[in-house]
Amino acid sequence: MTAPMTPVRSSPVAQALVARKAQWAPYRGMPCAVSVSAEDARHSAAVGVCDVSGLERCGLKGSGAAAWLEAQGVRVPAGANEWVALPGGGIVARLARTEFLIEDGPSGTEVRRVRPLIRAGIDGVTPVLRQDCALVLTGERVPELLVQTCNVDFSGVPADGPGLTLTQMVGVSVTVIRRELNGEPALRLWCDFTSGPYLWETLVGIAEELGGGAVGVAAAWPELHAATGT
Amino acid sequence: MSARLPPVDGEWIDRTRTLSFQFEGRAFSGYAGDVPSSALWASGVHVLGRSFKYHRPRGLLSLANHDVNALMQSGQRFNLRADVEALEEGMALAAVNTVGGVEADRLRIFDRLSRFLPVGFYYKAFHRPKALAAYWERVFRKVTGLGRIDFETPHIRTPKRYDFADVLVVGAGPSGLRAALAAAEAGAKVVLVDENARIGGSLGYQRGASDAGWKELQALEARLRAMPNVSIRSSTLAAGWYADHWVPLVDPVRMTKLRAGAVVVAQGAFEQPAVFRNNDLPGVMLASAAQRLIYRYAVKPMHTAVVLTANADGYRAALDLSANGVSVACVVDLRAKGESDELADRVKHHGIRVLPGHCVWEAEGQADRLSGVVVCPLNDQGQPDTSRPVKIAADGLLMSVGWAPAAALLYQSGCRMKYDDLTHQFVPVELAPGMFAAGRVNGVHDLQGRLADGARAGALAARHCGFSVPEPAAVARGPASVSHPYPIVDHPGGKNFVDFDEDLQVKDFLNAAQEGFDNIELMKRYSTVGMGPSQGKHSNMSAIRILARIVGKSPGEVGSTTARPFFHPVPMSHLAGRGFHPHRETPMHSRHVGLGAAWMQAGVWLRPEYYAAPGKRKAELVREEVRAVRSGVGLIDVGTLGKLEVYGPDAAEFLERIYTGKFSTLKVGMTRYAAMLDESAVVIDDGVVARLSDQHFYFTTTTTGSTNIYRELQRWNAQWGLKVGLVNTTGSFAAVNLAGPKSREVLAGLTSLDLSNEAFPYLALREGDVAGVPARLMRVGFVGEIGYEIHVPAEYGAHLWDTLMAAGEAFGIRPFGVEAQRVLRLEKGHIIIGQDTDGLTAPDEVGLEWAVKMEKPFFVGKRSVEIVRRRGPRHKLVGFEVDAAGARTAPKECHLVIRNGAIVGRVTSIVDSETLGRVVGLAFVAPDMTAEGTPLLIRVDGGAMVQARVVKTPFYDPDSARQKAPT
Repeated sequence: MTAPMTPVRSSPVAQALVARKAQWAPYRGMPCAVSVSAEDARHSAAVGVCDVSGLERCGLKGSGAAAWLEAQGVRVPAGANEWVALPGGGIVARLARTEFLIEDGPSGTEVRRVRPLIRAGIDGVTPVLRQDCALVLTGERVPELLVQTCNVDFSGVPADGPGLTLTQMVGVSVTVIRRELNGEPALRLWCDFTSGPYLWETLVGIAEELGGGAVGVAAAWPELHAATGT
Repeated sequence: MSARLPPVDGEWIDRTRTLSFQFEGRAFSGYAGDVPSSALWASGVHVLGRSFKYHRPRGLLSLANHDVNALMQSGQRFNLRADVEALEEGMALAAVNTVGGVEADRLRIFDRLSRFLPVGFYYKAFHRPKALAAYWERVFRKVTGLGRIDFETPHIRTPKRYDFADVLVVGAGPSGLRAALAAAEAGAKVVLVDENARIGGSLGYQRGASDAGWKELQALEARLRAMPNVSIRSSTLAAGWYADHWVPLVDPVRMTKLRAGAVVVAQGAFEQPAVFRNNDLPGVMLASAAQRLIYRYAVKPMHTAVVLTANADGYRAALDLSANGVSVACVVDLRAKGESDELADRVKHHGIRVLPGHCVWEAEGQADRLSGVVVCPLNDQGQPDTSRPVKIAADGLLMSVGWAPAAALLYQSGCRMKYDDLTHQFVPVELAPGMFAAGRVNGVHDLQGRLADGARAGALAARHCGFSVPEPAAVARGPASVSHPYPIVDHPGGKNFVDFDEDLQVKDFLNAAQEGFDNIELMKRYSTVGMGPSQGKHSNMSAIRILARIVGKSPGEVGSTTARPFFHPVPMSHLAGRGFHPHRETPMHSRHVGLGAAWMQAGVWLRPEYYAAPGKRKAELVREEVRAVRSGVGLIDVGTLGKLEVYGPDAAEFLERIYTGKFSTLKVGMTRYAAMLDESAVVIDDGVVARLSDQHFYFTTTTTGSTNIYRELQRWNAQWGLKVGLVNTTGSFAAVNLAGPKSREVLAGLTSLDLSNEAFPYLALREGDVAGVPARLMRVGFVGEIGYEIHVPAEYGAHLWDTLMAAGEAFGIRPFGVEAQRVLRLEKGHIIIGQDTDGLTAPDEVGLEWAVKMEKPFFVGKRSVEIVRRRGPRHKLVGFEVDAAGARTAPKECHLVIRNGAIVGRVTSIVDSETLGRVVGLAFVAPDMTAEGTPLLIRVDGGAMVQARVVKTPFYDPDSARQKAPT
């Protein structure tokens, strides 16, 4: 074998951001779009679509998954379709009664601690490889974007409430939560890696019609921006 | 001379903004807020279009979005509804259904030929003689059709939109306004829609020379607009109802799909025309149309009017005419006693003569305009006494003989309706949960009743949504006989139109029934009643009444036709909208773009078909890609394969049940081909199963199969209850196949795994790092060379591709696409599920007997395999090669195999193989044609026959020595 190499993680929407001449900074082995254009702040205030796929995550499912997580000291949401916050800005999402997604926030370490422990052979626990396209939607016109893309009424879902929605957006299966970022309401989205480019392009296209567009993490999630360079 | 009235309270026009436009080449002007019909009527133009079949002149009928004889073209916009669409500066309007213009329409000759164009004429023309069918088709195509499509019209991507409400109120007339108010006051989030440009409905125009309703409207509107939980949307049509109260709202810009907790249908009713001879002459119109003209557009409808009525509404209309300068010659009341309350007194006080117990026998015209009305008394049997006609000069005739409920949404929601003998209309008797009806559609016609009924329905809708509201009191239907039970007068001269869209006369219904089409659904289809652009809003009720008389039943027994969404035409641009067509891209997509991939669709995926290069054609490039794999090394993205994992103590048992093969004996670190059947023994999928540990398998499916197969596996396991966990990792893993004699050398530089044949033999699975990434590697042989399928987490896909391409550069690595892979696998005789199989193919028919382990106690499809084997195969898939003489006209996929003039099979795959130097393929043939050397005749394009013969597969490397690659 040749000399060991350092693999580079790639976001599912990396190429779309390259085409927009985004400014990059590394985040845990993946180039992270820090800014997309000089209009990021304005776009973010209208409708900002921001790629945060670089956040680390892991998943598991099975009848023993909840108990196993608790045994590892991970707080588990009480019910299906709920989420709880993790230290460092992360979340634990209960996607179904027996399925979980854990995502570290910008400065979180929980995934790094738990992920190596999830393996085949644990009774009632099935590891799930999470390779999501993860996005943040910010701005005051997000509700308008939602009504053009999704048939779920998010208006009654409180920001930072425990509710989690599994639905389709522009025909793509997505997981959605509302949470506050920078003290402002925002939407978090996850979809399959391979559906990410289509979801991204479609949402950005509509966001642009609404006076927003693609934005980098500096505008959408300053804590993540602060954590880049790692 | 302008027929514009002095300013009217509540008029919709803005007299400060004059708009210039053209109609049929002549210049006109109107006001902002006008519609083309109102502006033209104000300018003295009364022929607005020509009828569909007989090309008769037509004017205003409803001014309520149903004047289908006044459809117009304006530039690229066609079938513009002149009775409701806003007039715009510079419009160049023309009637759509003419040859030579609306006044000199050459096709008006059809009116004289009408006796030769009876009901069912189209059907009969095509029926016999058959030889003339093509001729008639040409004729009909030429003379029918409305509007002219301009193919240069830009594609407008109208955005779609979703919306949500507790209570949706459809119709903003008196009932709807009060319903919205009641629901909103209870705390509900209310959306109130109305198809008109302004809300208010009949409060705005059915005034009866009083401003009470108008003031009520102003008060209600002010209260509603002050409520933050009410959204008022005018020019918005609720076009249908779907389960769970999904209602498409169509506005001028887009369609919004609104989901409501409850729906109040307060759409009112369609005023119905009376049927008498020449009831279509310009100047004959619904009473409500004249009232709209006056109060919305400030246009005097006529100078002298006759009002034909059978209810109080006609009297109010007469008062409105009189109050606005129209001379009302008389009110002709179909009822024997006429109106008896204070309304009748008011009419008399206006000096208007009332003729109770009379009908209009016929209308007379001059210069395409009504000039007089012939009135007859009705005898004791309700028939016209034509011995005592009275002729009244008039340029306007108002019809106010009854109403048909606008109940389409109620019908669509499953509401049970019955014919109400009090009001002579269909009324709801059993509503679907969450559906409420109010006002005229509910059989409540007087104004105070409608207001109360609206409040009742709004409160009930709010209660349905969980808001605390006291149980409202019921509202009585009525008044009695608001609609006449039979406002239809037969006439020997005909031209008494029932359906203005399709020019159907009374005699057409009689003839249709006589020909056996004597139930309402059959009659509709045969006569086409209700099938025009107005969808029967003015004709269905009359058709039901006529048919009821013909068959001796009540209208209730005859019933009504089905009202499907959309009950009103919706622009195609709205239906097209912004399209969402999701596709999936593999993690290496951008690399393929950079390499010039020519794309193909594979299910929801985009895959490189081949990699383009300047100056080279596809066939040449594909051959080069094949050559690279056969002689050096190639790299293909196979990330689109379905990738599933099964964990748990019963994982092997689960796979044994799902697939036909044995997997309990599969050793850890090895892979095995797997075929999947459905319960009827049809081959539905295949792939490779790899055993990662005792309780952990990783397996692939076809590209297009993964989602359905995963769903099917979940369904099976819900039934079996085995201790397994299933995960669909299709999108989580990137995968490539590094194939070719030099693949081992390329890979060796990137991994610490021992790649020797001993340590990593053919069909083995290994886990290790490749290019620094944790990977799963499988020695597979789909393309017939030594090859490694390498699976890594998706986020490393691009890195893996880049690294392999860089490492392979010294070996002449070349990316190859689906087309080259198709050639390579065919040379090896490997089948593709879905291409070399079809929806009926059993495993024995495609040579998969070896993969079916009947000794297992169970697998999906096993019982059917036994049955199919007893029956024997219908056909068998064989390899063939085309005789050299026929190679120039090679067959294509799906070309037929012919024996003794009969079809005995078809080609499923074929390739002109450079490697083999011949054309080879796979074909289904009769079971007795499988012996090696059997001649095949294949019929190619143009009918020529090409000789081929059955040969053994694999065509290439029959011992598979190359893919096993011992060194």
